[in-house]
Amino acid sequence: MTNEAEHIIEVEYLTKRYGELLAVNGISFTVRKGEVFAFLGPNGAGKTTTVEIIETIRTPTSGNVRLLGMDVTKKKRDIVPRIGVLPQGFNSFDRITVRETLQYYSRLFCRGKADIDGLIELVNLKDKTREQYKNLSGGLKQRLGIAIALVNDPEVVFLDEPTTGLDPVARREVWEVLLGLKEKGKTVFLTTHYMEEAELLADAVAIISRGKIIAMGSPRELIENNAKYLLLTLQSTDEKICTVVRNMGFEPVHANHKNIKVRVAQTDDVLEILNGIKGAGASFLSVDVRKPNLEEVFLQLTGEALRAAPPATVAT
Amino acid sequence: MNLRIISANLVVRLTSFYREKTTMFFTIAFPIILILLFGTIFMSQDNVGYHLCVQDLDQTTSSTQSVKTLELNGEFKITRVDPAVNATQYVRDSKVNLVLVIPKGYEESLMQRVMLNDSNAAVTITYIYDPSSSSVATKMAILNSVLAGINQGMSGEPPFLRSVEKSILTRKYRFIEFFVPGIIAVSAMTLSLFSTVDSDTELRQKGIIRKLSTTPITRTDWLLSSILYQFILAVVSTITMLLVSYAVFSVNLHIDFWLPFFILLDVFAFVGIGMILTRFVKEAQSAAAAANSISLPMMFLSGSFFPIELMPGFLQKFAHVLPLYYVNEGLRASMVFVDNLAALKDSAAIGVFAAVVFILGIFATKWEEGA
Repeated sequence: MTNEAEHIIEVEYLTKRYGELLAVNGISFTVRKGEVFAFLGPNGAGKTTTVEIIETIRTPTSGNVRLLGMDVTKKKRDIVPRIGVLPQGFNSFDRITVRETLQYYSRLFCRGKADIDGLIELVNLKDKTREQYKNLSGGLKQRLGIAIALVNDPEVVFLDEPTTGLDPVARREVWEVLLGLKEKGKTVFLTTHYMEEAELLADAVAIISRGKIIAMGSPRELIENNAKYLLLTLQSTDEKICTVVRNMGFEPVHANHKNIKVRVAQTDDVLEILNGIKGAGASFLSVDVRKPNLEEVFLQLTGEALRAAPPATVAT
Repeated sequence: MNLRIISANLVVRLTSFYREKTTMFFTIAFPIILILLFGTIFMSQDNVGYHLCVQDLDQTTSSTQSVKTLELNGEFKITRVDPAVNATQYVRDSKVNLVLVIPKGYEESLMQRVMLNDSNAAVTITYIYDPSSSSVATKMAILNSVLAGINQGMSGEPPFLRSVEKSILTRKYRFIEFFVPGIIAVSAMTLSLFSTVDSDTELRQKGIIRKLSTTPITRTDWLLSSILYQFILAVVSTITMLLVSYAVFSVNLHIDFWLPFFILLDVFAFVGIGMILTRFVKEAQSAAAAANSISLPMMFLSGSFFPIELMPGFLQKFAHVLPLYYVNEGLRASMVFVDNLAALKDSAAIGVFAAVVFILGIFATKWEEGA
């Protein structure tokens, strides 16, 4: 029995197969009410297939998915009015203005008194209300898509890669809107392959690779549990540094003619490396020591998963 | 079915249409161009006159009189060819398809026959013609009939077999009046078919259908709003065509409830076919080719532009399985012959077809699974 107050989304042993292709491979997770849940994974990991099953667009091959306490395969009509969706690669009618588009979707949900002005303000499109969709930039289109996803005042909002293809400025504009949703206490299911996005916005994160969830938890938990090291970055044009570091028994994780990145277990290792470089007569321009971020955790985890997983199991 | 959703969808589609000036122009202009083009051709066919070259080698009063007789027949506009030129070369050089040659000795033979009652006196008129021309056979058939009339007149006996023409219509109709209903049927078909295939393929490719599938709009709401949208466009297009036909060609057509009814059935049938096609057309670029593969045979084989009686026997039989044939026949039955019973039969035929393809279209339309 679902406790709706606790878990708005419950996924159990979900599998989706397209012929021979196993897109989603028996995954399970839950999403709590009011949290921003980020579903992370590289392209083709199975993110969109999973989210579209939860959104009732696709049917699962096996497993159970409950949304708002209802089975998604049986209660589409009851679920749809209570959710908002920004699909991947969102598009709308070219010749319809921002305001008309919102009014249209509002009428589809039979919400005559939807707060169109409030939504326009929320996504910061006040000066674009009379602009036709085709004339909007990529960032503005995504913001309109988010406003459409909110037009029925949904209990859960699904945002499938809301910032993919946007330039850094437009991406930050969308993040502002998503932070606004978080402040309003909306439950948000966010799929993305931008780790920075998940780290900034998410309360909980699930990392999916090749159709399987390989890690789950809050961003802090994921970093603490999976990345028990420090990341030392040395900026230098001295080619000797790389050799010196290797001779000291440290293997750089990244090295080019400008930067060298080394994973170290503790701060003493940093001092040892710096002293070693000094002793070898090499020089560096700057040094940076920090804890790894979610991106490094992700690369570490998916790298391990890629090596462990059999090549026949491929996600969409 | 939700009327509020259907009307919301209809408003968006009509607004898009109104703002897409190029589409709007061609939707209205295409049928007008067809009406003006074919109307002009068929209007001149009602008063058709053939160009005929005559070389009079006899150059006598009798031969000149005979040429005038041909001219007075009303079927021909005569050009006289110099007796000195080679008629065969003249046909080749002047790009004419027929020269009628009156031989030397024409008057002399005529006098022998009329004055001396010499039944052996005869004249051979020669047709020098280009067999590659499509109209030459018609010209020669008319000339033979004129010559037969002259021969019969010279015999001095009244003809035994006579003929009289009685039209089944209460008044004389022109070809344009048979043509306009055909163009109305074709126009509604192309609008419905192309619009459905083009727009649905584009919306699917752009992911708009997928977005709509996450809203309360159902597949039936979507399809009904599409039907209503196409019907409104077809009605606008029909009104425009009728206004042009009345203004330019002064057509005399009977307009009653059958006209919108047949347009609606036409729209239902071809939106249904469009929906089935859309199931198989993955790219917007191939949508037009797919729609053409259906519309072109319909246009030319179902009797919209010319009577199916002009086609070979097997194609005439084939025409009877084309849905557009019944729309053409039904519209002509109601607008030209004012025959309600015939219109009813044709509406039943197209109605059954429309219902079947529309239901198949509903099942063919992929709404869930990202459409």
